[in-house]
Amino acid sequence: MVNPIWLILYPLCGAFVISMLYSFKSGFVAKTIAISAVLFNAVLALYFLVNTNTPVSITIAGFAPPVGINLVVDHFSAFVLAVANFIAVLSVVYSLNHIKENANKYYILFLLLIAGSNGMLLTGDIFNMFVFFEIICISSYALVAFEQNKNGFEASLKYLILGTLGSILILTAIALIYMTTGTLNFGDIAVKFSSVENGYKVLIAIFLLSGLGIEAAIFPFNTWLPDAHSSAPSPISAVLSGFVIEIPLLIIVKIITTILGFSSFSSIFVVLGLTTLLVGEISAFKQTNIKRALAYSSMGQIGLMLIVLGTTSTEALTGALMVFLNHAFAKSLLFFSAGSMIKSTGSYEISDYKGLAKKMPLSAFAFVIGALSLIGVPPLFGFFSKFMAIKSIVSSGGYLVATLILLGTIIETVYFVQIIQKLYNKKEAEGAIKQSSSLLASLVSIILIAGITGSMFVISGIINFGNLSAVSFLTKPFN
Amino acid sequence: MMNILTYTNIFFYGSLLLMILGFVIVFTQKNILKIILGLNIAETGVNILIVFSGAIRSKSAPIITNSFKDITSMVDPIPQALVLTSIVIGFGVTAFGLALAVRLYEKYHTLDISKIRGLKW
Repeated sequence: MVNPIWLILYPLCGAFVISMLYSFKSGFVAKTIAISAVLFNAVLALYFLVNTNTPVSITIAGFAPPVGINLVVDHFSAFVLAVANFIAVLSVVYSLNHIKENANKYYILFLLLIAGSNGMLLTGDIFNMFVFFEIICISSYALVAFEQNKNGFEASLKYLILGTLGSILILTAIALIYMTTGTLNFGDIAVKFSSVENGYKVLIAIFLLSGLGIEAAIFPFNTWLPDAHSSAPSPISAVLSGFVIEIPLLIIVKIITTILGFSSFSSIFVVLGLTTLLVGEISAFKQTNIKRALAYSSMGQIGLMLIVLGTTSTEALTGALMVFLNHAFAKSLLFFSAGSMIKSTGSYEISDYKGLAKKMPLSAFAFVIGALSLIGVPPLFGFFSKFMAIKSIVSSGGYLVATLILLGTIIETVYFVQIIQKLYNKKEAEGAIKQSSSLLASLVSIILIAGITGSMFVISGIINFGNLSAVSFLTKPFN
Repeated sequence: MMNILTYTNIFFYGSLLLMILGFVIVFTQKNILKIILGLNIAETGVNILIVFSGAIRSKSAPIITNSFKDITSMVDPIPQALVLTSIVIGFGVTAFGLALAVRLYEKYHTLDISKIRGLKW
C-alpha cells in the first residue's frame, strides 16, 4: 500500500519549490512541476480506487490515532479523489494555453488548492480537516482575484467575508465537539458522541452544517458563488465548480450522518437541497452572462446531490456520487468551452455568441455535449446519473421531491437550449477567431465513453456503491 | 462538563458574546475595514472558546520538568496547540482581506461596500 500522504505532499512541496524558483519568469519550471504533480496524483488516486477494498487507516507523525493524526482511504474518498485529481489534470492542461501572465503565482495557488482538497478528503481528524479546508479557502480567494480586475477583487472580498464566517462556525463546532467528547479523531468522536447531551448535539450539527454549507453554496449562503465562479479564470471556474464546492458538501453529510449519527437530519438535507436546486436553476435561467449561468447551474446540481444524500435509500450514496462524477466532467467541459469562447470573442454575454458555432465548431460542440450531459439526455452519462438519483428518491417515497427535480430539469433544459440556439444561429459572429483545442475533443470523447460504459455498468450492477452505504464511510478509522 | 460551566460561565458566554458581536459588525457595517475587524473579533471569540475547552481551574501549565511530572494536575495542552493554528490562519485571512481592501480602494476610491457594485451584491 502506497502511503496516501503523497497525494497531499507532492502538490504542497511542488508549490513551495515553485515559490523558491520564482526567478524563472518564463513559468516553464512551474508548469513542469504542476503537470508532474497532478499527473502523479491522478495515477495514485486511480491506484487507490482500484486497490481499496477495505478502509485503510495510516498513522502519520508517529502518534497512534486518537491522539495523533491519521489518513483514511476508503471507497468513498478514493472515488472522489480519483474524479477530483482527474479534473485537476485536465484543468492544468487547459491552463498551459490559457494562463500567460503570472504563471508562477497561478501554479503555486493551484497546487495548494489540490493539496487542500486531497487533504480534506483523506484526513481522519476534524481539526486537520479544518486546516485543509482553510488551505482550500485561502487559495481559492486568491485564485478568484487572479485576473486582477474590479470584478475579481470584489468577488474575492465577498467570498472571503462569507468564507471566514463559515470557518468561524466550523471552528466553534470543533471547540464544542472537543469540550463534549474530549477528542478530535472522527472515529473516536463517533464512539463517544452518543453520550453527549441532545442540545449540544443539535448545536454542533447546525454549526457544522452552516459553516461547511457556506463553502458548498447551499441556498441561504450561496450569494458568493456566482460572482466568484464567474470572476475566476476559466480553468479555475472548472475546478471550483467541478469538485471544490462538492467536497465540503460530501464531508458535511459524512460528518452529520455517520460521525455524529443524526439520521433525523436527512429531511433537512432534502428541504435545503430542493431550495438550492430550484433557486439555482431559476437564477441560471435569468442570467445573460455565460459564466454566471453556469455557476448557478452548479448550484442546482449541488442541490440535487444534497437531496439524494438526504434520502434514506441504499442507493443514495451511489446516486450522489454518480451525479458528482457527471457534474464534474460536464461542468468542466462547459467552463473550458465557455473559456475559449470568451477568449476569442472578448465578451461574457450570451447574446454576443450568435453564430459562433461556425467559427468555433469544436468549442460549440463541446458545449452542446456538456449541456446535454448535464440535462440528462440518454446516451450520455448524465442520463444514468440523474436516473439513479431519481430512482433512489422514488424508492424512498419522495414522489413530490422527484417531481420538483424534474421541474428543475425542465428549467435547466430551457436555458441550455437557449444558449445552444444562439451558438448555432445562422448569423455570423464578428471578430471571432477560429481556434482548435485537442483537449476539448478528448473531454467530449471521455464523456461519450463514460456514458456508454456507465450505462452498461448500471445495467449489470457492477458499480454497486450500495454496499458502501453510510456506515462504510468510516469503519474502524483508528487502531 | 456541567461543573466546568458553573464556575467559568464568564469565558463560555463571553466568547459566544464576542462571536455574536463580530457577526453583528460584519452584517451591519458598510466599511470594508470595519467588516474585517468584525471578523477578527468573532475569531477572537472562537479562540477563547477553544482555549476554554481545555482549561480547568487550579491546574498548571502543561510543561513537564525534572521536578514536576504530575500529568493529572496539568491542563489539557491540545486546545492550546489548536488555538495557535487558528490564530495563524486568522492572521493570514486578515492579511489577505486587507490586501484586497487596498486593491479595491485603488480601483473604486472608496471603502464603502454599498458603493462597490460591479457585481450584484
